[in-house]
Amino acid sequence: MSTVRIFAVENQLARVVEAPGGKTVDEHVRAATARIEGVRDASLASLVQKSEALAALAAEGRAAGSGDALGRIYDLSNAIFGIAGAFDLQPLAEATFSLCDLADGFRSGGSANWAAIDVHVDGIRLLAILGDRAGEAGAASILEGLRRVRQRVLPASG
Amino acid sequence: MGANQSKYERVNLSTAEVLLACGDTEGLNILAEMFAGFGVHTPRRCLTGAEARTAVQERVLNLMVVDAALADEEGYDFISWLRRSETAPNCYAPVILVTGHTKPSQIFRGRDAGASFVVRKPVAPTVMMQRILWLLNDQRKFVTSPGYCGPDRRLKAIGPPAGEKGRRHDDLSAEVGAATTPNLDQDMIDAMFSPKAVSL
Repeated sequence: MSTVRIFAVENQLARVVEAPGGKTVDEHVRAATARIEGVRDASLASLVQKSEALAALAAEGRAAGSGDALGRIYDLSNAIFGIAGAFDLQPLAEATFSLCDLADGFRSGGSANWAAIDVHVDGIRLLAILGDRAGEAGAASILEGLRRVRQRVLPASG
Repeated sequence: MGANQSKYERVNLSTAEVLLACGDTEGLNILAEMFAGFGVHTPRRCLTGAEARTAVQERVLNLMVVDAALADEEGYDFISWLRRSETAPNCYAPVILVTGHTKPSQIFRGRDAGASFVVRKPVAPTVMMQRILWLLNDQRKFVTSPGYCGPDRRLKAIGPPAGEKGRRHDDLSAEVGAATTPNLDQDMIDAMFSPKAVSL
């Protein structure tokens, strides 16, 4: 017989934050934004390293001719996506999101199209190196190219 | 902002015990800086699910923020383990799942793993604070069953689907049945609102 229990639990987080002191919500948000900005340079530098690691993974996967590397490519691309988004590097975030789509699509279905992955990795490396300096026009043309590649190799996905 | 908090109200997270788990070092740093800005002192930082499990068994935690991608496993698996771990009160603690590349199926997976909230990257401090404020007012009950363990996945109590009895003892039917007692007449209703002297 299945046993289902539904019961109330104490909201300990609510009890803890009621302690006197603290700051206003607005002050917390401003302080957090400033602290994140404080690790901007180190984070952007890590994006370059990660994009180089991504290129090495793609080369390894292509040479092996198997899809084993796709999971790691997905994870690394996803990590770059998270950092790029945190610092409002929109083109890099979009490029890595697109690579995640590809890697996820290839690992859960058809065979990997390594040429499509390579094009993405090259675009990601360039955008990571340029960082804040990625010009709007240049980034737009890279993204347009990646969108076309993605549509060609993953036509069914949204 | 949260249901009952304005941006001018005070929140004190300085004594909150917070676990931050993310499989990427820089991603974890960003989360840690955000929570330092929120006033959280020395959050427990974990790159792996194994570290997070150890932390759950070592100290009482008030909030957990878990990335879907941990270094050794998926955040979903950690949350599922947590909810069934019987490590009270930690197994009942609010958990915010942070996802990167997100498909709808991952949102449902996070919900079904027992996450209190699923937040998609990029997570701006204002969004994270909104979710924390929401959790402060979270009155949802906890459900344990063979198929699910975690906070009640129904965010609104709107009763069971029409025509169904409902599975909870306090579910009320949307259909109103025939009266089983006589209607009150107006004098009886008025009497309920009129103060009367009583002898004690």
